Amino acid sequence: MTTTATLSDPNVATTLAACAAPLLAFAAIFLGARRFARLSAGLSIGAVTVSLAGAVFLLAANWHAEAPQVFSASWLVSDAVRIPVGVLLDPISLLMMTVVAVICFLVQIYSLGYMAGDPGFSRYYGFMSLFAWAMLSLTLSSSLFQLYVFWELVGLSSYLLIGFWYEKFSASQAGKKAFVMTRAGDVAFMLGLFVLLVGAGTLDVTAVNGPAAARMNPSLITLSALLIFGGIVGKSAQFPLLTWLPDAMEGPTPVSALLHSATMVAAGVFLFARLFPFFRQSPAAMGVFLVIGTVSMLLSSTMAMVSRDIKQVWAYSTISQLGFMIMGLAAGSFFAGVFHLTTHAGFKALLFLCSGVVIHALDTNDMFEIARKKGRRLKLAMICMTLAAAALAGIPPLSGFFSKESILAALAALDNPIWLAAALLGVLLTAYYAFRLIFIILFPRPELVQPESGRGHGSGHGAGTAMGSALVVLAAATLALGFAAAPLARFLSGDPAAAHPGPHLPWLPYAGIGLAAGGLLLAWFEFGRPAADQKGFVERVPALAALFANRWYIDVFYARLISRLVDRGLAWLCAKTDQRVIDAGLDAASKHIIRSSGVLSALQSGMIQHRLLVLFAVVVMLGLYFIA
Amino acid sequence: MPTVYADIPILSAILLICLGGLFLILATPRKEAARIKKISAVSSGLTLAAAVYLFFAYDRGVGGLQFAEKISWIPSLGISYFNAVDGFSLPMLLLTGIVFFTGILTMWELTERVKEFFALVFLLVLGVYGLFMSLDLFFIFVWYDVSLFPMYLLIAVWGSTRKEYGAMKLTLYLLAGSALILPALLYLVVASGLDTFDLLQLMDPGTFTPAQQRFAFVLFYIGFGILAGVWPFHTWSPVGHVAAPTAVSMIHAGVLMKIGAFGVLRVGIFLCPEGWKYWAELMGLLATVGIVYGVLAGLRQTDLKYVIGYSSVSHMGIVGLGLATVTVDGLNGAVYQMFAHGIMTALFFSSVGYIYDKTHTKAIAELGGLSKTMPKASAYFIIAALTGVGVPCLASFWGELVVFISSFRVYPLYGTLAVGALAVGALFILRVVQKTCYGPENAKWAHLPDVSFGLAIPRMILVSVIVLFGLFPSLLFDMIRTASIPFMAGLP
Repeated sequence: MTTTATLSDPNVATTLAACAAPLLAFAAIFLGARRFARLSAGLSIGAVTVSLAGAVFLLAANWHAEAPQVFSASWLVSDAVRIPVGVLLDPISLLMMTVVAVICFLVQIYSLGYMAGDPGFSRYYGFMSLFAWAMLSLTLSSSLFQLYVFWELVGLSSYLLIGFWYEKFSASQAGKKAFVMTRAGDVAFMLGLFVLLVGAGTLDVTAVNGPAAARMNPSLITLSALLIFGGIVGKSAQFPLLTWLPDAMEGPTPVSALLHSATMVAAGVFLFARLFPFFRQSPAAMGVFLVIGTVSMLLSSTMAMVSRDIKQVWAYSTISQLGFMIMGLAAGSFFAGVFHLTTHAGFKALLFLCSGVVIHALDTNDMFEIARKKGRRLKLAMICMTLAAAALAGIPPLSGFFSKESILAALAALDNPIWLAAALLGVLLTAYYAFRLIFIILFPRPELVQPESGRGHGSGHGAGTAMGSALVVLAAATLALGFAAAPLARFLSGDPAAAHPGPHLPWLPYAGIGLAAGGLLLAWFEFGRPAADQKGFVERVPALAALFANRWYIDVFYARLISRLVDRGLAWLCAKTDQRVIDAGLDAASKHIIRSSGVLSALQSGMIQHRLLVLFAVVVMLGLYFIA
Repeated sequence: MPTVYADIPILSAILLICLGGLFLILATPRKEAARIKKISAVSSGLTLAAAVYLFFAYDRGVGGLQFAEKISWIPSLGISYFNAVDGFSLPMLLLTGIVFFTGILTMWELTERVKEFFALVFLLVLGVYGLFMSLDLFFIFVWYDVSLFPMYLLIAVWGSTRKEYGAMKLTLYLLAGSALILPALLYLVVASGLDTFDLLQLMDPGTFTPAQQRFAFVLFYIGFGILAGVWPFHTWSPVGHVAAPTAVSMIHAGVLMKIGAFGVLRVGIFLCPEGWKYWAELMGLLATVGIVYGVLAGLRQTDLKYVIGYSSVSHMGIVGLGLATVTVDGLNGAVYQMFAHGIMTALFFSSVGYIYDKTHTKAIAELGGLSKTMPKASAYFIIAALTGVGVPCLASFWGELVVFISSFRVYPLYGTLAVGALAVGALFILRVVQKTCYGPENAKWAHLPDVSFGLAIPRMILVSVIVLFGLFPSLLFDMIRTASIPFMAGLP
């Protein structure tokens, strides 16, 4: 099945160079280059360019490759525990690597403009390089422990970048929350790997997806699949570990673009795709994944409907779109999930980068405020954002339409129609909240618009060259990617004859388009048309609006859980045990010893009469003993 | 196991350098503090160089005991001066060298009773080196006590925050430990009927009955385990760490706690393998409680050093869990974790020590914004914290991973709980980082200087070691394997 490559193989050498370049840039920046801001940015961008070139070369060279190629070496050998390190080149890893490299490259170019003048400019590029290294290596990992290592490093880079502006409490809080919540999922992930290791005896990706798992006990497969999925839930911010992602927008906006599109959250869905053949062996687990994907998708859509913060809306939409991908994969369509992952990476990065331009220029995240400050004057950004929002909503002929359609088709193939119904509801809601935002910004209510005060505060500078070029490239991708479905399907399945799986139901695309259009029209009715009062239907029901705006009280639940159960419960118990039981017990024991030693020392009174008395008594006793 | 004798007594040379340094310091007039520091740095550097040399000169293909030196001392009692190193002790010697050298450099700005301080540190480290290389039970016990005695003075004189209490508590605990070890040693020596203190002769299978081993192992486990911070004998550790001055905390948590774990391995497990197997499950339980308990109790702490003290309890629990699995992997992971934790905790204490030296507070609530004020000092602190959280490619991760895997195989419940503690551990340590380093700049500390280049050297050394072994864990695992695999294969 797989071919084993050596280090001198051009594919392997290119891969290693593509992965190592960002690591070297990271090391160089923190070993000295960080004093020179331009040099740091240059190193980082240079490195990611190498990665991008490598990724494109590999993709092109292996477009018609027949078998996955594996290169493996030993990282750590203990005894029974052996941890290999290697490279696995197959369609999914090559595709993901390219997506990651493209997005990292564009985001780093964009950041030249966005982060200019920030005191932490070099540090930013250092962390960006670390992020690129971790994510690229994750996609290419040939064994699951190796993947876990880079998975954690992706989490670390996110922690560092989300909390980049650490002076802000909210930023450091968000970074910590992201790390700890994903770590909670990773605990399950690690345990899942252990179960898999015990059951299958190996964590080699190709073996787990193939022969090794076949030997496993089915209930062990389900157990390990569910536990590994715990890691995906954490990383991809699915229910119930979804609240860290909206907070993660505290980082610089380009970081959000990176986090939400090709890295971090994408890592979760990538892992699902990576282990897809393994997961598919447990229908029970797949059923659970489908439920979690659906719940996350719907919950986060409702949250997006009431948020006023533009980055937050896109953040909720990320959760929701990731839910879509997981639904697609869990419904059994590998292609649908991966395709949506790819198109989503493009338009979601575009959405965030456009938002970044707007926020950079107007200095606010609030959509009504942006409207008031005439955000629509930022033409390039607004055009691109509208385009990306349309892709998000699934409007043809943009990329999101095609990928969402393939997910709907996969869901329609399931026996139970409820999943398709839920997905269609999701399509409606997505179009509604996406265009709610767009219409609010584009059509501000006239009485609220700031009067013309010359070319005042910031309204002059829109996207510079660096930022603008990234937008244009991504917009082009959003327009074009949808038509790549058929060749991608062929590439991913490795079968030249495979075509894009067409919808089983002829009415399905129309239903999708119709619902998207319905959502759009509803948004137009409430927010866009001249007479609109810009109040959503949800906001007319205060209880519902509060529920959505407070994220279904999931955060409140966690805060109470941690404060009551962990901080004031278990931790209090342990700390008190130390003071009141262990230490107090020892103190009591030592006091007891001191007291009992008092009895002995009373014998040593130092008075000659006592000594003589004792001497006499002993002699008498001994005499009696010998006589008797 | 083959024993290769040394042509040049490098092991004795290490001890002699410590002793020589000690006498040189004592011979130097009190006023010449700078010279005392230079003598200390050079001598400790020489021991480090020797340890590094040994680490790489050790023939991994041959394995067994190498660089051995044996001189009969009191033949009538069977006591001999017997030093040698194997794959278990070499990582410990390397660790001692690194922590000793960096600890001396960290204390470069000390002004109070410089001469006595460095002299006592040398005496302490002499005992530590001796213990790690000795294979004679009599000497092991002597070195153990040599390393404990200076501790009391170092904490009581140079310490802070309830220093007399901390010093007294620590000393009493550790002496209680040695009061358990000595009878157990004598019991075994007498019971063997061999009239020898030579560990190699005593560890022949069949020397002791299983019942004898079960009895003696408990004494060794508790006696040495107290020093390793085994729950519930750990409460001296946070208090002692808090009270101790920076370099002493570094050496104490970095090396001295490892003596405890190493003692359990070298004496307890080597002499009483049957006892080890018999009590393993209980050891696993105590270790797991320690792992979970350490992170939970740490959550409630308000003092930086207490936080690290409790994280040490948790991390040393991982060592205990590895030993409790009775597998090669468990031993490998435990020894690796001993090394990694030593380096990590040295970095932790040296960065906290710097923060304390400048701000004169360890209260977490009073700190904050240090990343702005002293970016380098807080960077070292954050790196240590991330190592403690178990971030991959930093040294601790591999020890934890291997221990977790092996314990999950043997004790699924304990393994699961230990992995679960990772999440709480992340919460607990990152919270401290957030409160100490992040946040707006604190005007109270704004005038304080950042780590100077000279003081950064020891910290950079520690960070490089953490990254080096994080990226290339096999450097150490391949070494430990040369000892653990034959040892486990030799067990009946």
